Amino acid sequence: MFLASRNFCCRGIKLRTDLLSRSIKHSTSATMPFRHKNTRRIEGLDSNIWVEFTKMAADPSIVNLGQGFPDISPPSYVKEELAKVAAVDRLNQYTRGFGHPSLVKALSQVYEKVCGRKIDPFTDILVTVGAYGSLFSTIQALIEEGDEVIIIEPFYDCYEPMVKMAGAKPVFIPLRCKNDGNSAHSADWVLDPDELANKFNSKTKAIILNTPHNPTGKVFTLEELQVIADLCIKHDTLCISDEVYEWLVYKGNKHIKIATLPGMWERTVTIGSAGKTYSVTGWKLGWSIGPEYLIKHLQVVHQNTLYACPTPLQEALAQAFWIDYKRMDDPDCYFYSLSRELESKRDRMAQLLKEAGLNPVIPDGGYFMIVDVSTLNVDLSDVDDKQPYDYKFVKWMMASKKLSAIPLSAFCGSETKKQFEKYIRFCFIKKDSTLDAAEVILKNWNKQ
Amino acid sequence: FLFHSLQAKMSRPVQARRLEGVDKNIWVEFVKLAATYSKVNLGQGFPDFPPPDFLTEALTRALGGGNHMLHQYTRAFGHPPLVKVLAQFFEKLLGRDLDPMTNVMVTVGAYQALFCCFQALVDEGDEVIIIEPFFDCYEPMVKMAGGTPVFVPLRPNPPKDGKLMSSADWQLDPVELASKFSERTKAIVLNSPNNPLGKVFSRGELGLIAELCVKHDVLCISDEVYEWLVYDGKQHIRIASLQGMWDRTVIIGSAGKTFSTTGWKVGWVVGPDRLLQHLRTVHQNSVYHCATIVQEAVAQGFQRELMLYGKPESYFVQLPKELQQKRDWLVQSLDDVGMKPIIPEGTYFVVADISQFKSDVPDVPNSDEPYDSRFAKWMVKNKGLAAIPLSAFYSEAHKNNYTNFIRFCFAKEEATLKAANDILQKWKHEKTS
Repeated sequence: MFLASRNFCCRGIKLRTDLLSRSIKHSTSATMPFRHKNTRRIEGLDSNIWVEFTKMAADPSIVNLGQGFPDISPPSYVKEELAKVAAVDRLNQYTRGFGHPSLVKALSQVYEKVCGRKIDPFTDILVTVGAYGSLFSTIQALIEEGDEVIIIEPFYDCYEPMVKMAGAKPVFIPLRCKNDGNSAHSADWVLDPDELANKFNSKTKAIILNTPHNPTGKVFTLEELQVIADLCIKHDTLCISDEVYEWLVYKGNKHIKIATLPGMWERTVTIGSAGKTYSVTGWKLGWSIGPEYLIKHLQVVHQNTLYACPTPLQEALAQAFWIDYKRMDDPDCYFYSLSRELESKRDRMAQLLKEAGLNPVIPDGGYFMIVDVSTLNVDLSDVDDKQPYDYKFVKWMMASKKLSAIPLSAFCGSETKKQFEKYIRFCFIKKDSTLDAAEVILKNWNKQ
Repeated sequence: FLFHSLQAKMSRPVQARRLEGVDKNIWVEFVKLAATYSKVNLGQGFPDFPPPDFLTEALTRALGGGNHMLHQYTRAFGHPPLVKVLAQFFEKLLGRDLDPMTNVMVTVGAYQALFCCFQALVDEGDEVIIIEPFFDCYEPMVKMAGGTPVFVPLRPNPPKDGKLMSSADWQLDPVELASKFSERTKAIVLNSPNNPLGKVFSRGELGLIAELCVKHDVLCISDEVYEWLVYDGKQHIRIASLQGMWDRTVIIGSAGKTFSTTGWKVGWVVGPDRLLQHLRTVHQNSVYHCATIVQEAVAQGFQRELMLYGKPESYFVQLPKELQQKRDWLVQSLDDVGMKPIIPEGTYFVVADISQFKSDVPDVPNSDEPYDSRFAKWMVKNKGLAAIPLSAFYSEAHKNNYTNFIRFCFAKEEATLKAANDILQKWKHEKTS
């Protein structure tokens, strides 16, 4: 139990403090102070951007382009499959813990086709509560105290607290804008290969990759993935590849799975999401796919955390996958039709933002768009909040323009917040009427 | 081959140390066995009858209602209609005001509620008292949180008149219990009604535990998933309602057990904000949201029950009535063939002593596997009847303390229980002929 890599110094201090507090406790026998605070693993992890911003954006008078969820309907056959399932009695009881059999079979078929390799539904796949649950299971299974995990900034905000909760150290590396700050496209945001190489050392357990990328919408190219893969292989590091937006890539771009690069399958856990694939974020189903010798540890975490995911939702999802699996060579397949639908929304959103004098960064994938708001020169220095500029801007925008977005510095480590605080993130997987309402606000932006 | 190099490079294995000793899981093995061999499955605890119509109708209504936003994220700590009705319900039950936003949180089944409790409140070096026999996940969850499980057994005090034992006859020794509390004790896990025995802790027994919790400033994680399944007019008493306990107790509940819908995986915690705030932190860093639409349907189920509370049509009145009959049926079946059931006061499980059937499964000296486990495996393979060995619910060190008991689940259709009876009768006749 007591291994060399444990930090004995900290343990010693903790023990002394405990003994001290207990002796105080016994000397003041009248009232015992309530000594139950949070565990060390969650120290400092209590704040969460979504808890704050979703509450504010819930005001119905605000046009909500903040949190990433569709307000468009999921495809009707997906809803119908769930309605069918609701009538089947046995599907209301526990299913297989690591994933409902019909779902893991469907996933293995779809991904065998995509990856061009055999995927065993029972050993190579784990179904989790959203991709969020996959990230948690992967990190808890494979990351621990003493490890370092490389996180590319800006990042989906949960990576940092999850790595910390596992006792490990996040090591950040920012995407940097190629054209000296004047970025028009997500492809302009790149990693410096030398800078990246310097982040790897003998303690590096994993790198977290997110492609297509939230929040920039960057779709990592083969060359960029090769740089990462080469480093993973050289340093014998794992890759946690968050590919929830895998189907949402726009014309001229291709989503490439890093696990398909030579030498990568055996060191990569690839994460996917029903919420993003089928526009059903509220179903909270995701999956981890990888080699058995990694997935088996995720399964151990899963059997000790929530054991099984809801049965009816998994069955309905399996049926939806079969429908689309059969038409994977057909342009009508939802995997492709959704991205076509979103591409026009992307283009519309970009146009509106430009007309309002804002500088959007056109994403190659995903359903977010980041925007440089510094060009508006909104003076918020009188707001004596210690928060970064983009937080203040978004709050001001919600109050005065009734439009919500998410501040980009929420997606950065503390050192890089200054670099990104002029950007905010908009979500455009919204129905026409929502975008119409946003249009009215943006067209009238300068008229107030 | 690179496959090996990842293993070789790490001077330690690729998996995190927190997984040490928590990889084994009885259900993975026994569920597979039941799926392969059983004709009658009284093993894993889930009903084979459907959830009540009003609940499945609520799901269908939610799906047909045209509100497609029910397919999107809801509030992370619990869908507002659900936390509101849970707060209303538990206000009634606990006799205190509850804030749905801070005193209630929804989880992915009671299982995830337990996980949040241990991760939020148990640190390395903390001790957690677990009463044996226990729902098996408590031990690995405590270990995964770096804690040390400290076990204290319920001890059987059989009635002198040779009558069948009741789960009430399994009791804690007060002195033994008190001796388990130390300066390092962070929490005690209470499960009442108790799985697997079906024991419903009395007010006196709860008072004993409460006194020790208050004296030693220890938390109570109170797993009450079977709260509605109590028989013979017994009452389920919530330890959080005892003096000094609200502030130090997290109550765990389950829609799966409450509404016979284990596959929906909706659970909850109820407790003081200063404890729940830490569970919220764990939750927001592990799963973040629970599925919306099942929460919506469960909320409607509770709204119906709130209106019908205490009335004969209430599901919480009807379900225990139906299950008591099933209990009595299975108890009779077991007793008839010479398996001695311990009559449960609650839950939908009955544990029976299979000593009289031991001749069918000879003892294997020096076997690693506890006898009852080998018996249960033999039984499902050869008789097609699935049940769970009691040793599954004991710590490693105590797995051989009670080797002759297996647990049956009676939340089953009449036809299933009848089929079980047929197997048992046939088996008995084969033995005597």
